Amino acid sequence: MTKKALITGVTGQDGAYLSEFLLNKGYEVHGIKRRSSLFNTDRIDHLYQDPHEKNLRFILHHGDLTDSSSLLHTIAQVQPDEIYNLAAQSHVQVSFEEPEYTANSDALGTLRILEAIRTIGLTKKSRFYQASTSELFGKVQEVPQTEKTPFYPRSPYAVAKLYAYWITVNYREAYDMYACNGILFNHESPVRGETFVTRKITRALARIVLGDKECTYLGNLNAKRDWGHARDYVEMQWLMLQQDKPEDFVIASGEQHSVRDFVNAAAEELKIGIDWQGEGLEETGTVASAEQTELVGKTIVRVDPRYFRPTEVESLLGDPVRAKEKLGWVPKTSFRELVAEMVRYDMVEAQRDQLCKREGFSVKDHFE
Amino acid sequence: MKNKTALIFGISGQDGAYLARLLLEKGYKVVGTSRDAQMSFFANLKQLGIFDQVEVVSASLGDFRSVLQILKDTDPDEIYNLAGQSSVGLSFDQPVETFESIGIGTLNLLESIRFMDSGARFYNASSSECFGNTDGVPATEETPFRPRSPYAVAKAAAFWEVANYREAYGLFASSGILFNHESPLRPERFVTQKIVRTACRIADGSREKLRLGNTSVCRDWGWAPEYVEAMWLMLQQEQAEDFIVATGHTYALQELVQEVFACLDLDWQEHVELNPALLRPTDIMLSVANPLQAERLLGWKARSTMPDVVGMMVAENKKHCQAG
Repeated sequence: MTKKALITGVTGQDGAYLSEFLLNKGYEVHGIKRRSSLFNTDRIDHLYQDPHEKNLRFILHHGDLTDSSSLLHTIAQVQPDEIYNLAAQSHVQVSFEEPEYTANSDALGTLRILEAIRTIGLTKKSRFYQASTSELFGKVQEVPQTEKTPFYPRSPYAVAKLYAYWITVNYREAYDMYACNGILFNHESPVRGETFVTRKITRALARIVLGDKECTYLGNLNAKRDWGHARDYVEMQWLMLQQDKPEDFVIASGEQHSVRDFVNAAAEELKIGIDWQGEGLEETGTVASAEQTELVGKTIVRVDPRYFRPTEVESLLGDPVRAKEKLGWVPKTSFRELVAEMVRYDMVEAQRDQLCKREGFSVKDHFE
Repeated sequence: MKNKTALIFGISGQDGAYLARLLLEKGYKVVGTSRDAQMSFFANLKQLGIFDQVEVVSASLGDFRSVLQILKDTDPDEIYNLAGQSSVGLSFDQPVETFESIGIGTLNLLESIRFMDSGARFYNASSSECFGNTDGVPATEETPFRPRSPYAVAKAAAFWEVANYREAYGLFASSGILFNHESPLRPERFVTQKIVRTACRIADGSREKLRLGNTSVCRDWGWAPEYVEAMWLMLQQEQAEDFIVATGHTYALQELVQEVFACLDLDWQEHVELNPALLRPTDIMLSVANPLQAERLLGWKARSTMPDVVGMMVAENKKHCQAG
């Protein structure tokens, strides 16, 4: 029989990769998306099936994690075998500006789904995956971080996700549900949100190379992260729900790079060498070498304190030893390959935009 | 110097009433909130004879505007957050309300304090429930949390909200991780009061049985009037910091039952019945605390342990029974 999966946050980076992965596995995939006055399905448009087609295998439902009844209705209607909770206010910096909304969607939203499963009587049928995060480790209590490392959340986002983590554990223990947390370290891709630092860098550099942008402003260049490819990580989300017993896992590459390293790696893909000068707020990245000679000597990276967090997470590094042992986890995409793929994608986008502009068509700039 | 003003969210509860009494004794002006101040009976404040000395106002922690307005109106020097759904058992039936009142409520308070920028000091009522089972080693301020109920998960989130706002914005904000603290003001849905009242009724001739879920759970029980002193002390420090408040002595629930019945010259075994329907979906078996940090930095030390607490609760209950 065809298995049914329900994905919240289906329009996001992970939602798109996971949908594609599950469709390839033969699942019937249901996604919950928020209503918006703008189209927000770019990442899943290639999977879209017209509702008038027969034997639909990819079906979207309107819903919202802040609305209990919408969740209840959709879960009752779909009767999913697996539920992936990927929806969230997922931006750390934004959570300092919108802490209550973040708590409502990320913390209570998770609880609302767990409650809906209980209310409908699906605790024995529906397996539940909770998208947890390395931000829980925040001010890290040990290096590297494993499933046993105590949490020290440092943002309203991380605190809301901490609630979601523990409430998932509690429902597993209290009601014997198959529910588990994937503590995923940073995972990126060409469809990463444009305001996340990795994507911001690759988009900016591509446009700088084409002469469409002068300079990009970043926050803490020293922040170190453990970066992997989202496509690899969603496979682990699925695997976590295929075990005999539900268990929480750290998923990480086990390798660490600073934001500055990421800029260097992306620049190298574009055959640009960057010379870093100064410190702190005064630090700049200037083009030392490039095929485009007009770029040489230009300062293309500066620091803007607006991107600093009130409480900074300096360094995250995961140890995915349990996932290696029990899930057979091996990251398929290296850091260099990840950066290269993102740069290639953003270069094509930048070229398309440049072409459209040159031919007189309007192009959406994304200012944020 | 003008008298200090203290604002107590949740003044109608056990801790709110004792804290109000303490602060009045210290010369504070005390303002307290209840969700509907006109419908509340404030039985605890009346029982302590201080109802006419405090100002009570309506406020709901879940409503940002009401929190902000009351901070503006009262301009407090110290804010104590003792409000919120307080029953572990009930949190399994009302998990959303539990998080809204505790998690979102604390967030609303922190955001309001940040917005007002008045330098008010903030005390947050955290809970030993955050630790879950303290296997082997007594919990200190460094012990990682492992919450085991929707109540405990919400309290853990609130604890970290407070820590984050302290670190991110420099607020003077502290959490007191209080272990169980009891008094005659406890309502009967708390197991200690249920045991005391049932036993007293049996001593008075009632033929009922005392029905309990699991009597092997172990807790550190202290005396609430002492614990509110620690709350106040935490806000008089130079630096905001989190503290464990406990007696450092842990007993099994069965020992507490035994003690209560012994106070009344009864044999507990004749009157107690175990009822699995009263078991929680997940419960803490062992809760042990190390309160040395509070003793070292606050100069606070529990004076009453479980047998003292039980003695005082039984004595108070007998007084009321005889009076009634």
